[in-house]
Amino acid sequence: MADLVKITVDGKEIEVEAGTPVIDAAIDNGTYIPHFCHHSRLEPVGLCRMCLVELETPRGMVLTPSCTLPASEGQVIHTKTPVVDKAQEGVLEFLLINHPLDCPVCDKGGECPLQDQTLGYGPGESRFVEEKRHFEKPVPVSDLVLLDRERCILCSRCVRFAEEVAGDPLIEITARGNQAHIETFPDEPFSSYFSGNTVQICPVGALTATAYRFRARPWDLRKVESTCPHCTAGEAIEIDASQNQVLRFNGIDADATNQGWLSDKCRFGFEFIGSAERLTVPLVRDGDGFRESTWAEALDLVAERLGAVIESRGGEAVAGFGGARGTNEDAYAFSKFMRAVVGSNHIDARMDDAPAAELLAAVQPRATIGDLDTASTILLWGPDLKEEAGTLYLRVRQAVQKRGAKLVVVHPRRTGLDDRATWKFTYRPGTGFGTLEAFASGAGDFAEARKALDEGPVVAVVGLTGMTEDPTLATAVAAFAAGLPDAKILPVARRSNTFGALDMGCAPGLLPGRVSFGDADAVAAFEAAFGAVPDHAGLDTSGMLEGLANGDLAAAVLVGADPVRDVPDGALARRALEAADFVVALDLFLTDSSSLADVVLPAEGFAEKEGTFTNLEGRVSKVNRIVAGPGQTQPDWSILEEIARRMGRPMGFDSAETVAEEIATVAPAYADLRWRDVERKKPEGVLLDGGWYTPKAPAGPDVDADMVLHLARTLYDDGVAMRQSLSLHHLAPGGVAYLHPGDAERLGVTEGDQVVVVGSAGEATLPVRFDPSLPAGVVYVPFNQAGVPSLGAGAAVEVRSA
Amino acid sequence: MSWSPETVARAERIMQRYPERRSAVMPLLYLSMLEDGYLTDDGMREVAEWTGLTPVQVKSVASFYGMFKLRYTGKYLVSVCTSISCMLRGADDVMAAVEDEAGVPHGETDDDGVIAVEHVECIGACGGAPAVQVNYELIEGITPEQARDLVRWLREEQPDKIVADDLQERFGGTRSFDWAIRETEGAVGPFPAFGPYGTVAEEDRS
Amino acid sequence: MTTTTYPQVLTRRMTEHPADSHTLARYEATGGYQQARAAMGMTREQLVETVKESGLIGRGGAGFSAGMKWSFLAPPRPSYLVVNGDESEPGTFKDRQLLERDPHQMIEGIIIASVANEVHEAFIYIRGEYPKPARRVQHAIDEAYAAGYLGDGIFGSDYQLDVTVHLGGGAYICGEETALINSLEGRRGEPRLKPPYFPAAKGLYMLPTIVNNVETVSNLPHILEMGADAYKALGHDKDTGTFLFSVSGHVKRPGNYELPHGITWRELIFDIAGGMLDGRELKAWIPGGASAPWFVPEEHLDMPITKDDCGQAGSMLGSGAVIVMDDSTCMVKAAERVVRFFAHESCGQCTPCREGTTWMQQILARIEEGHGRAVDLDLLLDVSDNISPGLAWPPKMTTICPLGPSAVSPVTSLAKYFREEVEAHVTEGRCPLG
Ligand SMILES: Cc1cc2nc3c(=O)[nH]c(=O)nc-3n(C[C@H](O)[C@H](O)[C@H](O)COP(=O)(O)O)c2cc1C
Ligand code: SF4
Ligand code: SF4
Ligand code: FES
Ligand code: FES
Repeated sequence: MADLVKITVDGKEIEVEAGTPVIDAAIDNGTYIPHFCHHSRLEPVGLCRMCLVELETPRGMVLTPSCTLPASEGQVIHTKTPVVDKAQEGVLEFLLINHPLDCPVCDKGGECPLQDQTLGYGPGESRFVEEKRHFEKPVPVSDLVLLDRERCILCSRCVRFAEEVAGDPLIEITARGNQAHIETFPDEPFSSYFSGNTVQICPVGALTATAYRFRARPWDLRKVESTCPHCTAGEAIEIDASQNQVLRFNGIDADATNQGWLSDKCRFGFEFIGSAERLTVPLVRDGDGFRESTWAEALDLVAERLGAVIESRGGEAVAGFGGARGTNEDAYAFSKFMRAVVGSNHIDARMDDAPAAELLAAVQPRATIGDLDTASTILLWGPDLKEEAGTLYLRVRQAVQKRGAKLVVVHPRRTGLDDRATWKFTYRPGTGFGTLEAFASGAGDFAEARKALDEGPVVAVVGLTGMTEDPTLATAVAAFAAGLPDAKILPVARRSNTFGALDMGCAPGLLPGRVSFGDADAVAAFEAAFGAVPDHAGLDTSGMLEGLANGDLAAAVLVGADPVRDVPDGALARRALEAADFVVALDLFLTDSSSLADVVLPAEGFAEKEGTFTNLEGRVSKVNRIVAGPGQTQPDWSILEEIARRMGRPMGFDSAETVAEEIATVAPAYADLRWRDVERKKPEGVLLDGGWYTPKAPAGPDVDADMVLHLARTLYDDGVAMRQSLSLHHLAPGGVAYLHPGDAERLGVTEGDQVVVVGSAGEATLPVRFDPSLPAGVVYVPFNQAGVPSLGAGAAVEVRSA
Repeated sequence: MSWSPETVARAERIMQRYPERRSAVMPLLYLSMLEDGYLTDDGMREVAEWTGLTPVQVKSVASFYGMFKLRYTGKYLVSVCTSISCMLRGADDVMAAVEDEAGVPHGETDDDGVIAVEHVECIGACGGAPAVQVNYELIEGITPEQARDLVRWLREEQPDKIVADDLQERFGGTRSFDWAIRETEGAVGPFPAFGPYGTVAEEDRS
Repeated sequence: MTTTTYPQVLTRRMTEHPADSHTLARYEATGGYQQARAAMGMTREQLVETVKESGLIGRGGAGFSAGMKWSFLAPPRPSYLVVNGDESEPGTFKDRQLLERDPHQMIEGIIIASVANEVHEAFIYIRGEYPKPARRVQHAIDEAYAAGYLGDGIFGSDYQLDVTVHLGGGAYICGEETALINSLEGRRGEPRLKPPYFPAAKGLYMLPTIVNNVETVSNLPHILEMGADAYKALGHDKDTGTFLFSVSGHVKRPGNYELPHGITWRELIFDIAGGMLDGRELKAWIPGGASAPWFVPEEHLDMPITKDDCGQAGSMLGSGAVIVMDDSTCMVKAAERVVRFFAHESCGQCTPCREGTTWMQQILARIEEGHGRAVDLDLLLDVSDNISPGLAWPPKMTTICPLGPSAVSPVTSLAKYFREEVEAHVTEGRCPLG
């Protein structure tokens, strides 16, 4: 931490860190200074000249921008002198002379800094009688963002964001002087995964989002703070709604997590909430289709059929999938339902696409996102963060770009961070264990990177690089990192509240509060609380699917789970659900999975219910309700409670908060954590500790085959929420087989030709695209794209010309 | 879109002159104009490749400067200075004569694509005002009548190379200072005739 | 150079040997490169001290002591020397003559400045509209390389110095030293924020950089040759050495004149530059380039030309461009033309300059066309005040660089000396001069 200095602002002495921009120091201490170009997360540029103040110097008062003035000891600043007032009024007038003043039809109207400051600081009537500057009205700068150059005040926030933060310098100021304007290059749109942030930080209505253009007037909006439902970083967001419709997500500047930024998936992926396809009434199977039913009938049916399975085959014939798409409270209710009501430990929130549950939930020493800001070296051996955890990607980028942290990236192909990586190692999927062994020994090319890891602090970001990778590789990497002198581990996995669900015991080997079956005392406490708990770990997702498919298991409960789309072997999931005697699904939509169920119960979704989420660092934050769920939807916890009552084993919940209360009472890592404690710490939330798992290195086999498959997720795909967010769905890359040009030549194909990829559990015919970043002998297929059959998780594949 | 081997060789020499790649943007933009006659989108993409920038970053730089023309500007770009010193000595009449004779206003190129006309700010010839440049080769002390002759001559003769001393002799008058000796180097298009664009061939230095 | 009762230093060779003053052969035959050779044997301190002693003031317009600037150069290396040959301010054409007619004089200056500042890499930034000067300089550089005066081991020493010509792209603002550095880095020529006030701290590639004008650098061989005292004696009081005036406009003999300070404006305009054209009367002149507030005969004609006198009279000598206007000149049109220049050349970064200069140009054009309103002059002054608070001299600024405030000078000059002429435009609905 830098030294504290005393500065005087309008006669008031304040103490701030040396070097803080005076504007931030003043505003944080209650003296507002108007500004347009300044943004505390961007480098100061001093362009708009709105923030001028007078600074006392030995040569008298000097007019200077406060955004570019670093605080230093003894500065005396005046923000409201006649000279300052006049200058600010002048700047505002200059900004307005060429402004179209079309506030009544502008999306930003009502929340526009230019509009607000004109009221507060501006001149009265316009003295400008010349002709205004004209530009063609809104032009798209990307699929998601429109630009109105007449409204633009050239503050360059968008340009700076694109270059400094997102690393996608695709939007720029062109021309000079009075003709200067914002532009993208022909055929090269601002197609950044983070483009929507510019809409949020544009201080006028020059950048607007196609997703909410003209949808609502800011003054009609109701707002609530919440946590992003898409990725696992726990981004603080504000949800705006009007007339029971969610209209917009904006990022909130929570220092610990997203610092105000969101990926476009998170920002625009709200459309699913208001989708016309939402389920609104319970459905029960009727031959090949469904018929609508009453809640009473549907719940009775579920209780009866589940009860019958339990009676004939025992509770352990029932499998539970899901939990990651809801709140902690929903997940806890699900976990308790499976353990205490059904009597089964077969429950998993992971869809066969994540590392070991204890690694995700309880690894130690565990890093926070903020630790990236002070790490000297960052090891990234996991998913391409740009595709899977956008704001974490930005944070790593910042650490390298702004602070010069060293970055080691190990991945089967090019990643979004390669341009910033100090060392990048590319390896064939299936050879991870061998690669790790070589890396750990510092052999050959690995020497320098390996040495850098011996000097702390190191943050190791660990997860699965792809779905054909042995999940225990992540454990092995974590074990290697844990053995370094000064390293912490940040485990990553995909899908909104995965970490919360695992913490709530939606995992075959964990009970709520990160309790392992090895911890006899804690398990005993749960037996007391739940009545009974099976005394051994259950099956994970692939185990449950196999069990259902081969008849070892008989029934399935899906809570916001779509295994047919989400697991690598979707065909197995389909067979499993078809083979099951009984399947009940709690869902928002009829998905590929829930449409195979016997009973489908319409659930409340995000923004329709209250609760908490837990992010990948183990930080708990609130999610809040702002709209009512459509039709007869109910929250998951309540549906599960109703079923439990009908099965004669009520769980004792009558509101989400009573669930939270029970979590605070029985779940060790969450002991005494109440909603009000979480609220009080907003927007950051409460960081939990309670890690107990020190990863050990299991030796795994490498796969040796001519062609291996890299199957990995992209930001936009065919997942449920994306399918139902129309602005985004078309941005998914679609079915494609990426090949190294050398392999393509060997196979006798070129770009655009079709190849057949025969995987361990299915085959797909896909168009070829070249990717020279791939190692030879690797085919990369983006996972979960519309119309692409699943290939299975096996690394060895066959590829041939179609 | 790709550059000729000679241009590529020149670009490589230019790159060597600068401690950082990005610095080569301006000379490379001139090379690109030399290749295509003006700055095309493909030309900017090419410069982006060379300098490690995105095409829009290159455009942002190019469009800042008046001499990087993003549109075709004829075979001969006639630039009439109308800044204060030239204005005082009758530059507005020279401009009017050029526009009239060329048949196009400021910022336009004639239908045949031969002559483009622009008025520009001071070109450093104020002592020889009014001043005009053709493809950046200078004529000082020009009259409106001489300016008409100039445009007509350009259209009729269509010389391959524009040489300042030659033009000055035919169409010029009072100069800012004694030019002393005659040069034969000149411009072959609407961009400055400066061979090296910021570099000297290594072989020229031995 | 016609009138030469004053000693010529910078322009002597080109006057005496017009046919070949730009060649290495002539340069060496007239004593050239002896001082660079001598500098190789001097210490950095000796060189900086000599230049400080000489009182050499930068000739680029900002008027800062060259020796002082050199002594700011911060220790980290590498560092750079950039010679500013962007000369684009209306009325200024002296660097063009130095570049074209005596390039070796500048190159020798570059060698001296480089040795004095431990520079091994120098750039000459020449405006894009100067292809001929650039060619001449490049040719001279090639000659100097061939002679072993540039490159590895110059003058048989182990000192290495490379010089590169960088051609501008048509943007006056690149004459501002930090904009020039951005331009050299391949960026938009936008001035950087100050502080740091001099690129000596953080310049090219954020490394210490000296930026000096062509004329400034061209003086260096002469300072070493004659010694600081003799150099000082050439000038007048604090304004040491000679000074190149670029005289243009309605005079009989426009041109560049190398003169000492201390002569009067009357002498410059009427004797040296031959007086007014066609028996016209002197109405006003711009004493130091388009950015300078104007002078009028009633008040300033017999004033001595010194930096201080000009400053006290509320203007400056700047880069030495004197633009003379006779009584046929419409002052509104003249002001519009100067303001138009700044509006056209504004980089557009800061709001007051981007918007204000164009607005002022629009108002002036409207008055000139006869559509002025009674309120327009006060409006112009208030807009000016919002760019340059208090309309003081030297100007205060709401902007990043002095370009915006420069556009204010013609407006304050109009208000101060030609208010009636402006008002006549408004009341008559046309230019009163016809
Ligand atoms: C708007 C503006 C334009 C300038 N143009 C030039 C120029 O064309 N040539 C020049 O030498 N200095 C110019 N300067 C001054 C330079 O910033 C810088 O002070 C000078 O090059 C330093 O050299 P000197 O100390 O040798 O004069 C300009 C300054 C400003 C603010
Ligand atoms: S579009 Fe908005 S953010 Fe970008 S420069 Fe213009 S006003 Fe600023
Ligand atoms: S004053 Fe004008 S030229 Fe200078 S930085 Fe500001 S906008 Fe650019
Ligand atoms: S906020 Fe400081 S200049 Fe824009
Ligand atoms: S004003 Fe025309 S050349 Fe200077």
